[in-house]
Amino acid sequence: MSKSAFEVEVECECEACEKGKCDSADLVDVLSEREGLKEFYEEFKDSIHECRRLTYGQYLFVIDRDVLPEATLWWHNHPRFKETHMSTAVGTDERAIAGKFSYMPLINVQVEAENMDRNFWVLLKAYMPADDPSFPSVAAKLPAALWIEREVKDLLGFRPIGHPDPRRLILPEDWPEGVYPLRKDMDYRHSPMREPETEFREPPEGTTTVPMGPFHMGIEEPAHFRLFVKGEEIVDVDYRGFYSHRGIEKVGEGRLTYNQVLFLAERICGICGYQHSVSYAMAVERLADVDIPDRARYIRTLMLELERIHNHLLWVGIAAHMVGFDTGFMHAWRIREPVMWLVERLTGNRKQYGMNIVGGVRRDILDYRKEEILKVVKEIREGTKKFLDIALNTNTFIKRAEGVGILPYKIAKAYSVLGPTARASGRRIDARLDQATKTAMAYNEVDFKVPVYKEGDVLARVLVRMDELFESLWIVEQLIDQMPGGDIMVPIGKLPEYAEALGFTEAHRGEVLHYVMTGEKNKVYRWKVRAPTYNNLPAIPDMLRGYNVADAPLIIASIDPCYSCTERVQFVDVRTGRVRVLTEAEFNELSIKNRGVF
Amino acid sequence: MAESVSYTEKLKAWNRKEVEKIGEKAPVTTPYPFIDIEKPPEYRGIPHINPEKCVGCGACVNACPPDALIMEWDKEHGVKRLTYNAARCIRCARCIEVCPTGAMEPTTRFEIATNSKEDLVEVVEHRLAYCEECGEYLDFTERQIEYVKNILPKEIFDMYALEDRMKLTQDAKMRVTVEKLRELEGVEYPAYLLAKRGDE
Repeated sequence: MSKSAFEVEVECECEACEKGKCDSADLVDVLSEREGLKEFYEEFKDSIHECRRLTYGQYLFVIDRDVLPEATLWWHNHPRFKETHMSTAVGTDERAIAGKFSYMPLINVQVEAENMDRNFWVLLKAYMPADDPSFPSVAAKLPAALWIEREVKDLLGFRPIGHPDPRRLILPEDWPEGVYPLRKDMDYRHSPMREPETEFREPPEGTTTVPMGPFHMGIEEPAHFRLFVKGEEIVDVDYRGFYSHRGIEKVGEGRLTYNQVLFLAERICGICGYQHSVSYAMAVERLADVDIPDRARYIRTLMLELERIHNHLLWVGIAAHMVGFDTGFMHAWRIREPVMWLVERLTGNRKQYGMNIVGGVRRDILDYRKEEILKVVKEIREGTKKFLDIALNTNTFIKRAEGVGILPYKIAKAYSVLGPTARASGRRIDARLDQATKTAMAYNEVDFKVPVYKEGDVLARVLVRMDELFESLWIVEQLIDQMPGGDIMVPIGKLPEYAEALGFTEAHRGEVLHYVMTGEKNKVYRWKVRAPTYNNLPAIPDMLRGYNVADAPLIIASIDPCYSCTERVQFVDVRTGRVRVLTEAEFNELSIKNRGVF
Repeated sequence: MAESVSYTEKLKAWNRKEVEKIGEKAPVTTPYPFIDIEKPPEYRGIPHINPEKCVGCGACVNACPPDALIMEWDKEHGVKRLTYNAARCIRCARCIEVCPTGAMEPTTRFEIATNSKEDLVEVVEHRLAYCEECGEYLDFTERQIEYVKNILPKEIFDMYALEDRMKLTQDAKMRVTVEKLRELEGVEYPAYLLAKRGDE
């Protein structure tokens, strides 16, 4: 580990500078730490009020709200930093602290692929007066912002000016207008009602509507797709989801202390809970500037990788089930089961491990268990190889998956699609190596490859996940070999007040992002969770268009959607304002090619 | 809760016809829930309060994320009530970690299905310490005071004269301090000055 990870946080507040322009020496230091920061500062000099480094590799700029779209696009479309994307945004009711609202896009800047010491996060914070919480929308030019801008509109009452589709996203149909749950003046127990009104999109002319949902038949989770079809071909899609919105962020902010939120974070998702737990713990450790013991980092990494292994096996089983290859489904889940048993012995539970605590882990990996882990790893490697051999030589499987649900690179980038879905479309991103995970996890000390495929179809998504699975097995073996001794946790004590930081991991679906802002008395003032499906799901209409109705369940399942993760808050698809990269003719061509297969 | 009859036993009382088949050997599947299944020793089940070890400090209540543990004071009857509700429990075992006396005991039980909600609740009642001076109950239990007596070093006891003052309410403590100071210094200070000093 390089020394810089342990540097003391350098604060360089520029409040003292005249007219909010920062030209102190500290500022020069901060700006020269990473590539691109200086350029950005020069470009938007007049609109930047403050800039500081929150923690290692996380830079906050306070800018005017008028330049939000330009600044976001400047980073997102940076010609040199190819895989830079707008990850999400955070809206905060800061009336209690600053007397204003704030809206803050979070940008994952990738200077060099797989180099966590050169890449960084940019947080662009814009304050809005309490009586006029509006900001210019960037969604018309950047589809990645479509949902998040609707989310802050629903939950905080911000007005994104010029948003192409300002329908309700998160809140249920029977929620009254003008009541904003995430504002601080609303109590978390309050739950008003009104008569329900649905806002489905009008179907395009000459099409028939095929409702799919409100319950997905394969994944068995609530989501309502409305497919507009001409014959068998899908012309367009409307989406209404967020049926399992639980208001987790509000409960975390309202009632719990920072160590209690951790267990709530773990319960955001049924199968990638540990990723959320680590992300949250990382965010709190970053803002408190605590370095956790090496052994804790290794144990966390081990658990994360075991989770990835069984999740990928679960997903490939579901994919096999979707294409009617039920033997594959049974075998994939049979291979998966030993991991669950292993994890139960390591942590005390099959899922919801409860292994984490802010500052380390709660259970140690004892030596005799190492043998068990290696045995399971060996079993899984052999089992999966055999399974893949059979599955990839099964015609029903290949014919259903090949050339179906193609997501072109440009659309993947525009929607900030993440994880294996993005890597199957040629995006070379992986938060494990791209960003500074070394403070909470040990990915910098193991060797592994990030598989990337260019095809962008369902088959590529299967192959990416299976390659990753083998890499994960290899990571587990290395971790067992290199596991250092020592403590497994450090106590944190009191947290600094109103400090902010990001925590992130690469879940098996993509990058999980947690933003934490502390309040007084060890409580959390703002906690924002962004699960990877939140970015992947808006791209679904683009994957579905032009294919058969029968392919829809498979294509939707191919991004491995997790509605519960996504819907701690809530959402719907959009046609208007989408960047149209493929023409109608190209889509028709695809669908003709597709028909030829069947 | 942990001591109640096991789930398998409970099922037998229902007189289901499947019970007869328990002895028969099934080819692959296990006739769960009619037999007990194997659980690894590391399994985190619902915790259980050992009333003999519990001192009623409430450390578990502060740590519990889903409010499965609740503390209530009944000053009229001099009782502090610790309630554990297994239905709210998420089995994170934080209470077991923070318990200073080891009264929260881990179990491997997970089958909490029951006919009556009362089966899910464990209640431990503690007697509150009684202040002879002012005839009121303290916030602390008698056991808490005993526990503190056992773990505090003797020097600290002597320094703060805890032996006499421990079982007093906050008001009585202040009054005693004031009287002590008066005795020691032998000067008649106005009472309000001394009260302030005692408060600090």
